[in-house]
Amino acid sequence: MNGDLHNFGGAQSRRDWLLRSGAGFGAVALSGLLAKDNALGQGPTPSFLKPHFVPRAKRVIFLFMEGGPSHMDLFDPKPLLNKLAGQRLPESFKRPITAMGEAESPLLASPRLWRRHGQTGTWVSDWLPHTAECVDDIAVIRSCWTNGINHSGGVCQMNTGQPLAGRPSLGSWVNYGLGTENENLPAFVVMTDTKATPTNGPRNWSAGFMPAAYQGVHIHPGAEPFRYLNLPKGVTPEIHRRKLEILQRLNRNHQATRSHQSELEARIRSYELAYRMQAAAPEVVDLSRETEATKRLYGFGNKLAEPFGRCCLLARRMIERGVRFVQIYHGAGSKWDSHSKMEENHSRQCLQSDLPTAGLLKDLKSRGLLDDTLVIWGGEFGRTPMSEKGDGRDHNPTGFTMWMAGGGVQGGQVIGATDELGLWATEDRLHVHDLHATILHLLGIHNLDLIYHYKGRPENPTINEGTAFTKITIG
Amino acid sequence: MLPRLAILWVMLGGSVFAKEFSQADREWWAFLPVTKPAVPTVGTNWALNELDHFVARKLETQNLSPAKEADRRTLIRRLSFDLTGLPPSPEQIAEFLADRSPDAYEKLVDRLLDSPHYGERLATFWLDLVRYADSDGYRADHYRSDAWRYRDYVIRSFNADKPYDRFVREQLAGDEIDPGNRDALIATMYFRHGIYEHNQRDVETQWAEMLADVTNVTGDALLGLGLQCARCHDHKFDPITQRDYYRIQSFFSPLLQRASMPVGTLEQRAAYHEKQTAWEEATEAIRARLHAIEQPALLQKTTGEGFDKFIDKIKTMIRKRPQDRTAYERQIAELSERQFGVEPAKLEQRLKGDAKLEWQRLREALKRFDTLKPKPLAQVKFVASDAGPVAPPTLIPKTGVTVEPGFLSVLGGASAKILPPPAALQSTGRRTALADWITRPNHPLTARVLVNRLWQQHFGRGLAANTSDFGKLGERPTHPELLDWLAARFVADGWSLKKIQRRMVISATYRQRAANPSSTERDPANVWLARAPIRRLGAEQVRDALLAVSDELDLKAGGAGVVAEKSTRRSVYRRVMRNSPDEVLHAFDVPDHISHMPQRSVTTTPTQSLLLLNSGWIRERALALAKRLAKRYPADTGAQLEAAHELALSQAMPASDRADALAFIGQSSDGSAAATQAALAEYCHVLLNANAFLYVD
Repeated sequence: MNGDLHNFGGAQSRRDWLLRSGAGFGAVALSGLLAKDNALGQGPTPSFLKPHFVPRAKRVIFLFMEGGPSHMDLFDPKPLLNKLAGQRLPESFKRPITAMGEAESPLLASPRLWRRHGQTGTWVSDWLPHTAECVDDIAVIRSCWTNGINHSGGVCQMNTGQPLAGRPSLGSWVNYGLGTENENLPAFVVMTDTKATPTNGPRNWSAGFMPAAYQGVHIHPGAEPFRYLNLPKGVTPEIHRRKLEILQRLNRNHQATRSHQSELEARIRSYELAYRMQAAAPEVVDLSRETEATKRLYGFGNKLAEPFGRCCLLARRMIERGVRFVQIYHGAGSKWDSHSKMEENHSRQCLQSDLPTAGLLKDLKSRGLLDDTLVIWGGEFGRTPMSEKGDGRDHNPTGFTMWMAGGGVQGGQVIGATDELGLWATEDRLHVHDLHATILHLLGIHNLDLIYHYKGRPENPTINEGTAFTKITIG
Repeated sequence: MLPRLAILWVMLGGSVFAKEFSQADREWWAFLPVTKPAVPTVGTNWALNELDHFVARKLETQNLSPAKEADRRTLIRRLSFDLTGLPPSPEQIAEFLADRSPDAYEKLVDRLLDSPHYGERLATFWLDLVRYADSDGYRADHYRSDAWRYRDYVIRSFNADKPYDRFVREQLAGDEIDPGNRDALIATMYFRHGIYEHNQRDVETQWAEMLADVTNVTGDALLGLGLQCARCHDHKFDPITQRDYYRIQSFFSPLLQRASMPVGTLEQRAAYHEKQTAWEEATEAIRARLHAIEQPALLQKTTGEGFDKFIDKIKTMIRKRPQDRTAYERQIAELSERQFGVEPAKLEQRLKGDAKLEWQRLREALKRFDTLKPKPLAQVKFVASDAGPVAPPTLIPKTGVTVEPGFLSVLGGASAKILPPPAALQSTGRRTALADWITRPNHPLTARVLVNRLWQQHFGRGLAANTSDFGKLGERPTHPELLDWLAARFVADGWSLKKIQRRMVISATYRQRAANPSSTERDPANVWLARAPIRRLGAEQVRDALLAVSDELDLKAGGAGVVAEKSTRRSVYRRVMRNSPDEVLHAFDVPDHISHMPQRSVTTTPTQSLLLLNSGWIRERALALAKRLAKRYPADTGAQLEAAHELALSQAMPASDRADALAFIGQSSDGSAAATQAALAEYCHVLLNANAFLYVD
């Protein structure tokens, strides 16, 4: 991608046509039929057509730690917390409304061993030994904050920008803005480490008020990567082929008296595309060509790490083949949610996710893919310094950690800070809208200029707010 | 400086506000009164009714000629799907083809408008607007066991051709205007369809969102104006101030979501209220003491999400006796109380010593007043009313400015005159005032917005293209005089949807063919209406047609929602679960039912093609269709194929298709009866994938 935007005069009718033109998984035809892979800003009415800027990242892999990882036990050490453990939050701290009402519960110490890692000495706890090896590629953002105090609102907001349902997912916006590089595959793919459904279900990757073509496609490792890819029982490939032939003939006869109808032509094309997808998708999920060394890197052979590792490896294969936005839920169904038994919960979650996460970063780097692939790690919120049920922590939306790597991000840096107990973000506070703006910025998109007209109103991914933290590229 | 000035304006009051708007704002087409334009004389050779003349005038200026009238098979298919959402049966087609009377078409229109399936079809359009669903959304997505009564109410209302003004008034204020009418109370579920998070501890924020949601959906659905832009700031494009937004919201500020509400005429409610008040007065001292003893014991251990997780401010509201709560405290306390349960049955165990003795004594004493109690009235569940006769204040956030109910300033919106309803209703009367304003016969928006939506139903595109945004971000109407003529006619016809739809579908404009090369070339979006649009079936139509064609459709009407995948009922009767939409419907662009949806997306994706080809559910319909054909025409492949085309496509089978089909059957089977039947099923499956099935023209 060269940042050179094509100024389409008739964007409205083109976009209109594209939507109806069997525009596969998202704006498939944008790459196939028009400008190579850039459709920024072409809403149903062209709100802006001027170029944005040169993108650093071409694609995104978002590792979503669902349920809320504890920042002060992973990336944000708080010595004062251990000193005040057992006491109430000092009066000088503002009280948040928390999900379980734990504002006045005793502070819970973090028993972690902390070390500085890499050349720049980023702090990482002993729960993440493998991620710690990659810190020189990672920008840790300690000052994230969000509005949703519950999982539903939090997960919804981290995906769509607001806690209330109804808006398109970030992946849908990226799909809408950039399209795909491979029309036989979805532009926006979602995977889950287990069969459990993430909080809110498919709504997290829905296209909201945009056409469904922009939604994420849930891919399952295995014999049928996505729904209805395989022929129904009793239909042989031979019968299937014959059915498609006679279908196309029927459709051509029907169309003969209805010339100039792009919808009808588009549907004929959508069957051709479907046919090609049936051929392309199984190859993506076929790991037989991956070496044992690569598989080990992702944690294959390690019972705990393999399920998430498989998703990470699949993500690499997908982005290699042109998928634009991959989101993987680790701990689908709020498994990071540690209201009690913090130690047991996070030990398990980290054993499952740490190795594959690091494996993905290392593999991308060795293949030269990390330069233009943005990897994001984080959950919907963090956890409170206050305890819950004696050995757990409540939800903390007012201050938590996420990290980004690759895709133009300067590694080895720590951005922002929380207060001395990790409760409120204090320096360089980045709201979810700012995080989304930053992600879009790295993709070459200005968040307020990516416009989709809904009910006649110009909508953008960050709801008229959000500023990209551009310093993330320099450190 | 500017914000301060704005606050000053606000404090100076409404009349000053009009000065802020430019003449262009005030003279924006949608804010001007509906005119009654004279019917043009153009198009006399072609026009069948008044609206054709308006269309003809535009065609003339565009130098376009209308398409010829479509053939009868096309017309009955188009009409049947449009008015009932179902394909015509072969018998209905035959009957229409055979009817040579000059008004055969009009008779067909009237039969379809009278069909009970008319309301089922039209309901979908309304349910989209009010984002109807049978579940809460959010994480748990709890089922709402009574929401379906609203869906049935909508269907009933449309089938009865309830005047639109009445329909709107019932939804906004049924509890105030007709409290003895069960349907009018069910209508207030209009206020219950928003998403709701059952364990949201930030109760005040959630309530603010719920009020905003109700305000926004009313602006979108009834006024065709995007009010929500003005929630945080004056609207950047339309003359809607933030103050206007909260003036509208204050009509809803007293709302109370109620688990149930009594059905009773004013007289019945008054009698009840009088007795209840007498009982309350007589027992006040006893009940006050009981509360003091019982409540701590009840709150000490609660079920569900629990009492102890709320912040102190909310705990205080919950602890207050209901009569001591302000309206706002009642709203927040009752919303909070939905999160936990108390167990009065356990008081016996929990109370000890003297307290227990006193409690037992008081309970006995209270019982002696039971004879004073009124007989309970019948109840209706999952509805809304006001929290009491005194409205909580409506504040503009961050300014602290209080506003009173009022209408949009640009429409000359003086403060609303609120007439308090009788005390028995314990209501403010605010929503009635809003309903009265919205349904004024001369309201510039209400009728225009509605007829434009119906036009979109029948012609694929509104005369004003953005059917829920008549502001400056929406497109101006292509036929402003026609829109006004329809709006005026609609009101003059007693706000009858059926009458105005009848005018639309009996027009020559509607009866055109889809083919008109010069129109397709020069007017690709069909703005000037020189042809019929080709439209893909909507999600419900696809599913219903699949079941109708295979003769599996269960036409039972009404009742609690069914799981679409496991049922053969019409799609409108499915359970609309927000987090788990039916796959077939979802693939064909059924909305998420979270936000107002004025115009559904129409996408064409390989996902749809894969679903139609490979889903077991779709293939089962094909197998059922083949079975139906084999039963009806045993061992007669030719007749089976012809009937398949007639059923699925409403068309007679062309000779070329017939030859292709016979060749397909021949190639796909060894000639045995079983193999021929299997091949027929595969052919039926192909038909259910065909454009001629999925599109109406």
